[in-house]
Amino acid sequence: MADDTSAAAGTSTDSGAGTESNLRTTKPGTKRLFLTVSVLISFLLGAPFLLKSTEIHRSPLPSASISSLSDHLQSNPPSFPCHFQVIFLSPFKQPDSSFSLSIGEKISAQLSKESCGNCKFTVSVTVDSGSSCRHEGDADSAACLWECGGGELVDAIAGRDDQEIDELLQSAVNERTGVCAGRVYSVFVMEGKSERVVVGKYRHAWMVVKELDDSTSVSSMIGTLFGDYFMGGGFGTGEYIPVGSDGNVVLSFSLLNSNPSDWIYDWDFQRTGEGLLGPVLEALAPVANITMESQVLYHAPKSSISFWDEKLEAYVVNTRDLPFFVNSNEWHLDTSLSASGRSKVLQFVVYVPSASECPLYIRTPEGEMSKTNAFISPMWGGVAIWNPPGCSMQSQGIHSARDVLPPQELEKIIEIFIGQLRLLFGLNSNYVKPSPKFKFLASEKGFTNWELDLLYRQHTCFNLLSSLSTLQSLSTLVESLPRMIVMDEIGKQVELSLEAANLAERNISLGINNASALSSIRARALAEDAFFHPSIMSISYSSMEHYFAIYMPFFAPVSLHVLLAAVKEVKRYYAERSKYLAFRASKVKSS
Amino acid sequence: MASEKSWSRNPMGLQLHRILSVFFSLSIVLPLSSPSPTMHNNNWAVLVCTSRFWFNYRHMANTLSLYRTVKRLGIPDERIILMLADDMACNARNNYPAQVFNNENHQLNLYGDNVEVDYRGYQVTVENFLRVLTGRHEASVPRSKRLLSDEGSHILLYMTGHGGNEFLKFQDTEELQSHDLADAVKQMKEKNRFKELLIMVDTCQAATLFSQLQSPGVVAIGSSMKGENSYSHHLDPDVGVSVVDRFTFYTLAFFERLDMYSNASLNSLFTSYDPTLLMSTAYYRMDLYERPLNTVPVTNFFGSVMKTIPTDSAYPGFLVARASEYTTTSAETETARAVLEDEADHSKTHTQSEKGLQHILDEWLKLLEGKFGEKDPDMLVAYGLGSMVLLAISTWLSS
Repeated sequence: MADDTSAAAGTSTDSGAGTESNLRTTKPGTKRLFLTVSVLISFLLGAPFLLKSTEIHRSPLPSASISSLSDHLQSNPPSFPCHFQVIFLSPFKQPDSSFSLSIGEKISAQLSKESCGNCKFTVSVTVDSGSSCRHEGDADSAACLWECGGGELVDAIAGRDDQEIDELLQSAVNERTGVCAGRVYSVFVMEGKSERVVVGKYRHAWMVVKELDDSTSVSSMIGTLFGDYFMGGGFGTGEYIPVGSDGNVVLSFSLLNSNPSDWIYDWDFQRTGEGLLGPVLEALAPVANITMESQVLYHAPKSSISFWDEKLEAYVVNTRDLPFFVNSNEWHLDTSLSASGRSKVLQFVVYVPSASECPLYIRTPEGEMSKTNAFISPMWGGVAIWNPPGCSMQSQGIHSARDVLPPQELEKIIEIFIGQLRLLFGLNSNYVKPSPKFKFLASEKGFTNWELDLLYRQHTCFNLLSSLSTLQSLSTLVESLPRMIVMDEIGKQVELSLEAANLAERNISLGINNASALSSIRARALAEDAFFHPSIMSISYSSMEHYFAIYMPFFAPVSLHVLLAAVKEVKRYYAERSKYLAFRASKVKSS
Repeated sequence: MASEKSWSRNPMGLQLHRILSVFFSLSIVLPLSSPSPTMHNNNWAVLVCTSRFWFNYRHMANTLSLYRTVKRLGIPDERIILMLADDMACNARNNYPAQVFNNENHQLNLYGDNVEVDYRGYQVTVENFLRVLTGRHEASVPRSKRLLSDEGSHILLYMTGHGGNEFLKFQDTEELQSHDLADAVKQMKEKNRFKELLIMVDTCQAATLFSQLQSPGVVAIGSSMKGENSYSHHLDPDVGVSVVDRFTFYTLAFFERLDMYSNASLNSLFTSYDPTLLMSTAYYRMDLYERPLNTVPVTNFFGSVMKTIPTDSAYPGFLVARASEYTTTSAETETARAVLEDEADHSKTHTQSEKGLQHILDEWLKLLEGKFGEKDPDMLVAYGLGSMVLLAISTWLSS
């Protein structure tokens, strides 16, 4: 091709040299120009395709809504609407505003404790004593006020035992507060000879006072009931959230035979345990999805030392040696097959000591025997020591090859375990009474309704805040690595988590506690799934240098040559063209 | 020592609490974002040996010695992640098969009993290491291979192998860079996967590996500074290779004097390293750590502490409340169990009765159920109709 043009033009082929003969008679050929420029243009046209096909797939995360929801929750912390009502069933003097105000003050004294899940409370006082019915205070809606007409309750209650009174009052509350029955905490006050305060297992308590007119003491007791117990949970062990990040908890029950050559114990946990613990797990369903499993282990000695105590006539372990009781080398407890990677496993261990240290008791620092012979470790679980019968008499021949833990003993142990479960969730295993007049009724679910409400509130608040902080860190992480692949799954999980968090927040303001708890668990589980997605590994994202290092060897040499060729051709073409034009101009001049 | 005195309710404390709460009663708005300081719950250990090949015997021995130490001081296997890049005990060149020593007197067999290796051989990679730290595993990874720490955990991270300026060599093919480590620790801190972290590195130029750390709550010590090498302690002529490194040797010498109950401080550990004996400078950084080192017992990281609270009482009245409900449910479960046992017997007796059309019919039904049981009913109906149509066509054709 070059020969053609040069032969036709009759000029020298090196266009870069000085053009002495700067005239040519024919138009310069365009084939070479066309060729090189078309190759260059095809490269340029293809560049966007290359960029598009090698672009990092990043599923868009709704960072704006994450940060807005997070800010919203920081500025208005989730507050649960609680309504407290006091109902006087006996004639009381005109309750003035100072009465409900003093109650309100006592409750807000409890609020100053920095904990998640506090109540936004309203207090109302009603005097409903047959003849008259007066309301005072405020309620968040008129529908939540106590309907009058409960005057005959006092007579119905008289002479019954506490469980029946509890049921009667519960049915009265359901009748008379209508639609708010699940959200309202009530205290019934009546006059009587013996002063007592009983806290029921639903959401109410009742007090019998001698002098109704002593309004300060009455209001302070009512304030204690509302603030310390119904709202605060009664000074528990602390705020523990022993729930795995996927919302699952596995309760693992183990029976440990310390020395099988002395005696071997088995238990029928499946029947007894599931029967007793079923309602408890159901009640806790909005807090976590709890499953149970049990096992029997052998050759599992403890690792702390016990010694003989003359006064108690038993082997004792001091309280300060308890941290070393759990022998993690021999106790193979964490063998759960059903627990997935992010569930929380709580261990409940029954320890059967060997003959050389039987009976074994825990000795308190005061020198007394522990009443339950059990201890917990927060966020781990609990241990209870059970001494086989007859070991104090040193008669070792009476044991058969394999004994069964008697069902009554197992039931008692399960009672201890329920107390420990309550401790692990941050409540008290038994109630700390502010005065001997107080009595607390126990519930077959292991937790009373008002305690469950408290747990739901705490967990909802914690889950919401935790899921939003997780989402926030995820979005900052994704933004800080602009070339990291964000898979679609992560985007979807983030969206669903935000949806659940918004739903939880709406349910909180409506006062639907268990629905909000469930949505908050879902929000946290999804947020953790998204954050811990295995594809987010910072070492596997392709940085800019990586990208260049891959594609440079392919395209750089070729594109250099193409570019140079095109530039060279264009320059040559324009040079030839100017020569031709000059020739044409000179021809026109000469003709 | 982290053992707590027994937790008891003192009425004085209650009163004080109430007085204080009344005093602060006027402050209604509370900041919910700042969490209260968490308590130390448990200890974890991540022990990593990154080099393979027989001549790196000492790195394996280092890691196994530290494994044995933390186990002796109480950390259970379920809270130790042990990563060994090669197998020395069963190596063909090992004169003492199934035994690993860290001293030429051969007094201690480190591989003797109860060694649970979580990541072995080629599973020890930079990616797996970072996955362990950040917690980003595939769903199928078992719990024993995960670092299941929470916000109350103290983690001991020990790494040994060949290293250099700002890197640590893994398996002779990869490197862990200091910024990768710093990044992983930052992510761990964001997700509250630890309360405090102690990093010990025994490689050449070890102190450079943690030079890029920024997260609070981390204290780190390396066996040598930039430009220095870390040396092995002695050669074992029987085994034929060096069996322990100097830094680890003196660390172990410090811990052999201790047991679960002692309260020697981290400061005493860090100052026990003598540069002339180590032939390098053991450098530590504590600028990211709030507590002064002489108040931190070494068992906070190397041992196991369990905060225990004696249970005052069971949940009283639970059994009474459950009494009536319990008897009914137990009866139900009994009948349920009876049904199960019946079915077992039934199938047994069934195989014994051979005769009768009933038997043949049952077998046929069982066969059908086995074949079609899984398919949904719509498909089953479709099959039936199709076969009917076929049958009709074939009879029509044959007639």
